[in-house]
Amino acid sequence: MQRRSPSSWFYRTLTFGPALLLCAANAHAEATPITHGSLELIARNQWIAAGHTLDLGLRFQLEKGWHIYWVNPGDSGEPPRVEWQLPAGLTAGAIEWPAPRRLDTGSIVDYGYEDRVLLIVPLQAAPTLAAQQPVRLGAQVKLLVCSHEMCIPGKAELSLTLPIKSQPPAPDTLTAELFAATSKSLPRPAPGNWKFSVTDANDSFVLTANVGHQVTQAVFFPLAESQIENAAPQKLVTEKADFRLTLRKSDQLLKPIDRLKGVLVLSGDQAFLVDVPISKAGAVRSNSGNGATK
Amino acid sequence: MKRSTLLPMLLCRMLLCATLVALVLCAAPPLVSAAKVGAVAPDFTGTASTGKTFRLSDYRGKYVVLEWHNNGCPFVRKQYNSGNMQQLQKQWTRQGVAWFTILSSAPGKQGYATAQEENDYLAKMQAAPTAALLDPNGEIGHLYDAKTSPQMVVINPQGVVIYDGAIDDKPTTDLNDVPGATNYVSLALQQAMAGKQVEMPATRPYGCSVKYADATH
Repeated sequence: MQRRSPSSWFYRTLTFGPALLLCAANAHAEATPITHGSLELIARNQWIAAGHTLDLGLRFQLEKGWHIYWVNPGDSGEPPRVEWQLPAGLTAGAIEWPAPRRLDTGSIVDYGYEDRVLLIVPLQAAPTLAAQQPVRLGAQVKLLVCSHEMCIPGKAELSLTLPIKSQPPAPDTLTAELFAATSKSLPRPAPGNWKFSVTDANDSFVLTANVGHQVTQAVFFPLAESQIENAAPQKLVTEKADFRLTLRKSDQLLKPIDRLKGVLVLSGDQAFLVDVPISKAGAVRSNSGNGATK
Repeated sequence: MKRSTLLPMLLCRMLLCATLVALVLCAAPPLVSAAKVGAVAPDFTGTASTGKTFRLSDYRGKYVVLEWHNNGCPFVRKQYNSGNMQQLQKQWTRQGVAWFTILSSAPGKQGYATAQEENDYLAKMQAAPTAALLDPNGEIGHLYDAKTSPQMVVINPQGVVIYDGAIDDKPTTDLNDVPGATNYVSLALQQAMAGKQVEMPATRPYGCSVKYADATH
């Protein structure tokens, strides 16, 4: 191997060093290793704009065979929890959960994410915030990463340093695509002309939906625990413009509930937030998914 | 008996039978899994790590606690490393409760232990169940539809399940969450022993999935 002269290394460092520092200073920090994966705190925009909301993101990448959990983890597991250390004038909102997957081990069913997921957290910046040098946003994440064989708890300390400016926000080109794709796939309120009803059929809830076209797949993920039997198959009966989904009640559901809230995923991974009152009669009502809270 | 009265009499008896059957069916408990709250706890025989055999129905007249266990699961470790599970076992067995730790993990899976390994674990952890039952084929686990470890079942002296679910109200792996948690097992036992209604008879059990032999991948 030809030996390079020491002076050429010196010049390389001089050239690339500052570039590397610049990279570290923007909205794209390095990923922290976690058990069987990595976790990174990223931001949609290049700076915090006073008076605006900035989307932060917890970017999980997981080894094959390992998963983390949704807000309702299902039969086992525990969702990740975040504690923020933020400078004054900045407030973090709740995690915006993408639609989960059913993680089926036969006797139990959990709800979560495999491979990779971005958990978006909106950060509100007070309008009175003064433009200032980069501030440090800290996040302590408690997580549980599981495979079919075992679960491993862990903690990750993440941080991201961003300037605060009075100028309007500008997207970070490095993270823009990931945020856009995630935002697009987040569960959204169902279209206003869709009609939903839920009837209490003794040992099951029957969700009836009129969505104007034939549906080939439908899976319901309840937001609350202990309402439906997670491992029970969800029987789908489809007609031309509507469908019925039978959801077996949970053995832990001892008191009647008024409403069924959750995420309904149709073919093509189209995810909708539904929040439907439960009735004994079979009357189809207009969609009450508008304005459903996440 | 005259023939002309035979047919009406038969019909009458059939109707009576049908009515009785219908009444019995209506009066019967709802058709849910046999191991559920309010239903009679399914009987089983288990072999302990000591080699001794234990039969649930031999414990009629006593309260019984079933504790699903997997020593590798962080939710179980939270209870054992904090000393909480051992303290519960001692406290309640002293009051005449029979406490069975049940290992339903299949061989080769996390939580499985041979008799010797389990005896070593019990000694090391200073655990004090009445017995640790080895259920590697998952028979007892499936009978009770045990989903997680830990999962707790409390049975009253009449042999009826009065509690099924989580050990407490803090579904985390954090040891720091043990002291402040409401322990559902103790709550159920205290209330039932005082002749009161069990306030929280069923909760979502939290923990790691039970590692049965037939788990699909």
